Amino acid sequence: MGGGSRAAAHLGRFGGLVPAAVYFVLFFFVPFGLIVCFSFWHDFDYRVVHHWTLENYRYFIHQHVYLHTMWATLWMGIAATGITLALAFPFAYWLSRYVPGGLQKPLLVLVIVPFWTSYLLRMYSWLNTLGRKGLVNTALEKAGITDHPLTLLYSRWSVVVVLVYLYFPFAALTLYSSIDRFDWDQLRAAMDLGASPLRAIGRILVPQIRPGIITAVIFVFIPILGEYLPPQIIGGTSVPMLGNVIDNFQREALYARASAIALLIAAFVIVLLVLFRKSLSAKEAYGA
Amino acid sequence: MAREAGVLSPRARAARGLLTGYGLFIYVFLFAPIVLLVLFSFNDNQYGSFPITGWTTAWYREVFGDYEIQDALRVTLKVAAVVTVVSVVLGTAAAFPLVRGRLRFPAGFRVTMTLPIMIPGILIGISLLVLFTQTLHFGLSWKTAVIGQSLYTTPFVLLLVAARLQGFDRNLERAASDLGANTFNRLRLVVLPLIFPAILAGALFAFTLSFDEFVITYFIVGSTNTLPIYIYTQIKYGITPEVNALASLVLLTSILLISLAFVLPPLFRLARRGFRSVRGRHELVPEAVPATEY
Repeated sequence: MGGGSRAAAHLGRFGGLVPAAVYFVLFFFVPFGLIVCFSFWHDFDYRVVHHWTLENYRYFIHQHVYLHTMWATLWMGIAATGITLALAFPFAYWLSRYVPGGLQKPLLVLVIVPFWTSYLLRMYSWLNTLGRKGLVNTALEKAGITDHPLTLLYSRWSVVVVLVYLYFPFAALTLYSSIDRFDWDQLRAAMDLGASPLRAIGRILVPQIRPGIITAVIFVFIPILGEYLPPQIIGGTSVPMLGNVIDNFQREALYARASAIALLIAAFVIVLLVLFRKSLSAKEAYGA
Repeated sequence: MAREAGVLSPRARAARGLLTGYGLFIYVFLFAPIVLLVLFSFNDNQYGSFPITGWTTAWYREVFGDYEIQDALRVTLKVAAVVTVVSVVLGTAAAFPLVRGRLRFPAGFRVTMTLPIMIPGILIGISLLVLFTQTLHFGLSWKTAVIGQSLYTTPFVLLLVAARLQGFDRNLERAASDLGANTFNRLRLVVLPLIFPAILAGALFAFTLSFDEFVITYFIVGSTNTLPIYIYTQIKYGITPEVNALASLVLLTSILLISLAFVLPPLFRLARRGFRSVRGRHELVPEAVPATEY
């Protein structure tokens, strides 16, 4: 190869990264840096004053309602993640172990397809299901279980149910891809040696798919930390999450305060990603 | 690959039956709300809910005749088209050095590039809002929405194309070289045709994600309406049959688009291989499921 083609090869090797890298720096890292700065600046008279202060954080800590919202957000995130995983594990187990090979992929795709469709509309569809004249109430009345429509929406649990609905496909997919690599003979061997099925699953299968479980937990929990739409549409503002606090502040043009809450969420995210980086990286990536 | 082909004990058979019932329940859970939505969109009842008083296509006629919806659709398609082009170009170009460049910290780069899909969308939305309105003093418009959405869609294209490049036999390129092809021709005649299915899947993903994007767009689109933003302003006031019809159309469109993203690339490869037996385990899913591939 001549010098020209070596330069071309070099450009070919790294040049492709340049446009994406510039784009990410300009519109991802710089804005994130701004959020950090803004969170230590000060809203005054609908402008942000470049005066370094801890006032936004002090305000957050001293307002009982915001701390309460933070705990509520964490609590709902944990509940929704736990239920999602608990529902997805038996499903993935069934799909991988009991469904004939040729049917597995189509059935998996059937689960994933809704995940890629409109997040807003999948949420909206629950208004029809849980509303006063929705599916559940109508069914309950027809069955004679109740004679007046129950208020199923606008509660913490209704938001958790919808969060589970939104993230189930992701958890099912992640668990399925790790269970699918499991060698079922090991489970059979354990049971031949006298372990009960549940014990065999708990002692043999679960430890081997731990990276998949952790990946599912982290990637369901993280986006929930920033949700603002389900509490608004399904919860009807009675059960706000941290995302709603950000939204409210930005509507009032209080960008410094909004930034402080955003940084708080980002801090949770970063801590989780760093703590679990070993389980999340490399192996699960690209389906190995 | 029926793994339990042998004789099942009664207990194992019961477990299988129980789990199969459970699997069916999961599909009902996933699809009932969507089916119900479509059902209500044909319901004569003007409150858009039970009871079903009769069947009508009136709500669809209203949707098609609504100028506001037509405008929102036009903006949505424009945004989605630009987002698709931006993310395919950025994502495909970046995939090559990521897979082949012998970077010093490949894992670090990969994680960095996928951060926008790992973190909550609200963080992208609010930080771009601060950048555009408080720092650069840009007016918010469909263009700022394109910038935000591309940040979110590019990693998907990148992951799809990178996954395809990883399984790529580089000897094909060397052979082309030996036969006298220069860099450009190698790219055009050997590499691009082989990674085209992944690029196509990436483009379809990017388009669909943009078509449906709400979380980021909400913060940075200003007073412009995309379809999801329009639907949001409508459903704040509760269910209407017209929104049921519009929502059904949007949902079915994205289901169709995303199904294409799953089905087309494997079909492409099947066609290229002259429909030889390629029903391998990795035909359908790995290309189209970037979600696990962080």
